[in-house]
Amino acid sequence: MSATAETTAPEAPTTAKGGGGGRSWVPKLTAGERVRALIILGLLAIVLFLLPAILSGYWINVSTDTAIYSVVALGLGVLMGRTGLVSLGQIAVLALAGWVAARLCFATSLPFPVILLLSGLITMVIGTLIGLPALRLQGLYLALITLMLAGAIGVALRTTNFPNGGAGFLGHTESDRGNGTIRRPALAHADTAFFRYTVIVVAIMFLIALLHVRAKPGRAWAAIRQSEPAALAGGVNITLYKLWAFALASFLTGVAGGLLAARSGQLFTLQFPTQDSILLLAAVLMGGIYSFWGAIVAGALMRLLPALLDNWGLPADLLTILFGVGVLQVLLTAPQGIVYQFPRDMARLGRLIGGLFTRARGAPARERAG
Amino acid sequence: MPSWEDFKPFIITGLALGSVYAMSGVGMVVLYRATGVLNLAFGAVGAMGALIAWQLINHNGWAEGPAFVICVLFGGAVTLLYGALFGPPLSGRDPLIKAVATLGLALILLGIMSWVWSDKARSMILPSSNHGFEVSDVFVNYTQVIALGFGIVITIVTGLFLRFTNLGTAMRALANDREITATLGVPVRRVEAAAWLGSGLLAGASGLLLSNLVGLDATTLTFLVISSLAATLIGRLRSIPGTFLAAMGIGLVNALITPILSISQYRDMTPFVLATIALFLLSGRRGNALTGRAG
Repeated sequence: MSATAETTAPEAPTTAKGGGGGRSWVPKLTAGERVRALIILGLLAIVLFLLPAILSGYWINVSTDTAIYSVVALGLGVLMGRTGLVSLGQIAVLALAGWVAARLCFATSLPFPVILLLSGLITMVIGTLIGLPALRLQGLYLALITLMLAGAIGVALRTTNFPNGGAGFLGHTESDRGNGTIRRPALAHADTAFFRYTVIVVAIMFLIALLHVRAKPGRAWAAIRQSEPAALAGGVNITLYKLWAFALASFLTGVAGGLLAARSGQLFTLQFPTQDSILLLAAVLMGGIYSFWGAIVAGALMRLLPALLDNWGLPADLLTILFGVGVLQVLLTAPQGIVYQFPRDMARLGRLIGGLFTRARGAPARERAG
Repeated sequence: MPSWEDFKPFIITGLALGSVYAMSGVGMVVLYRATGVLNLAFGAVGAMGALIAWQLINHNGWAEGPAFVICVLFGGAVTLLYGALFGPPLSGRDPLIKAVATLGLALILLGIMSWVWSDKARSMILPSSNHGFEVSDVFVNYTQVIALGFGIVITIVTGLFLRFTNLGTAMRALANDREITATLGVPVRRVEAAAWLGSGLLAGASGLLLSNLVGLDATTLTFLVISSLAATLIGRLRSIPGTFLAAMGIGLVNALITPILSISQYRDMTPFVLATIALFLLSGRRGNALTGRAG
């Protein structure tokens, strides 16, 4: 992929600086990055304080879902965009994480943040165990084995179902409403409060991923993605860093699963259909696998767009078709996804319009357009 | 532990299911060997063909024969169209990218299917399902016989075709090295088109048979491709006899677990579990054989 070199380039100076000051995990920021960080903090403030004020309860829940799925997309982005490992089973991992979180919730009376952390860690262990043998496989075979494992997890979960307060290890009762719901954090019971809580957790997850990418693991992943033999020759511990990528992605997905469990109160297998793993892959590809903004776009494509279509009275199946077309279009013409393509196309459009105006005034348009 | 009598009826079910898996698997292997594309939309194409046949029979008053032919032809046409449009621009890319691109086709077809034919339960019974004969107290219907016969015949014919015909030799050459084959004067595009068409026809046929053996539901049929994919994986995406045997094994194990009540509910995990074990064993024995490249 020729696009990879381009995207890593702007990050190179900062990572070099960060690594320069010893083994610092928090790199010094350049002026441009400080501005960017301020913009992001501003956006975060708007999301935290303005959105809950103007949105209705339904849209708050949709926004919560969008935030959660953007973390799932982030996990796939770490695997696919950063390290070059394609997983077709991330939704199965999410379902597994939801199961773990629900199980912990009904079995213990731990506070919610601990449950969140534990479900992240347990999913991380499971994900790494899956990744361990998969390390021998590459490319297509790795993608297919994740598809197989996702299928197996799907069948198992459809049979065992999600814990809803029943007895025994599986903890599922057949009664309609189950015995109680998965609890939410003590300070965020209402939907709006839980939305804020989710956004903050999601922001922390993005920060964790960002710190990884900017530090040594990120450089190792980039080397592995570009060429495994070259990375090996360069002294990169390929096994360690591939496992690290699996671990980080599973941890992120695990936390997302915990949030989703608390958001829904009860989990059902219907929430994790097989095609969602493929839709997620499509959404992440369309959003842009090389950028963190792409993960947010992917989350919106997964959860916000269906709600919008529903609101406008359009069938949600249109979305599936759109995703299919999107995958083909991304693979053929724009491997970097919407986050890169959209500003570029907009800039081109802007130049075109600007060119029209200047030409109308008789000025040479070529200088501007160049 | 159930007795032999309990297992008997499931042998023929397993063989029939296994042979349809084998048919889909062979279709995918042929295409992968010739073009390097693992067609993950195989199931979606078959499902849509079957749904079109259903529509023609139940709403347009077609006779069954022509409708089934349309189903098979639809499979061929869609696959060929995709191959003609997206095969050449993606031909130089990684096999993984090519496989992911076919997921795009699968999503488009899936979207159209659930839009046009909403997820209502419907069924299509092939006329051959109503007739059959008994083998030692077990009723065997002709659809199962046809499936088994098709699976075996198609495997043998495809194997011989790749081995002995000019077109088959050209396909095997393409699998080895596309550039060198082109320099030798093989019409690459035409050979690839033949592979797309053949694989598409098989997709249509297996969609038709599966809709009868398993049920006519867009999502189920689309993702049933994962089960036949398991067989091709055990055949390491190359071997046609290997794929056939693996598919039969998967079908048999899957069906024979049914009477064992303690694990009966988990029987659909069979293809995935077998494929996972096989992949790990294969990758352990030959570390570099599974690098994801064709040939």
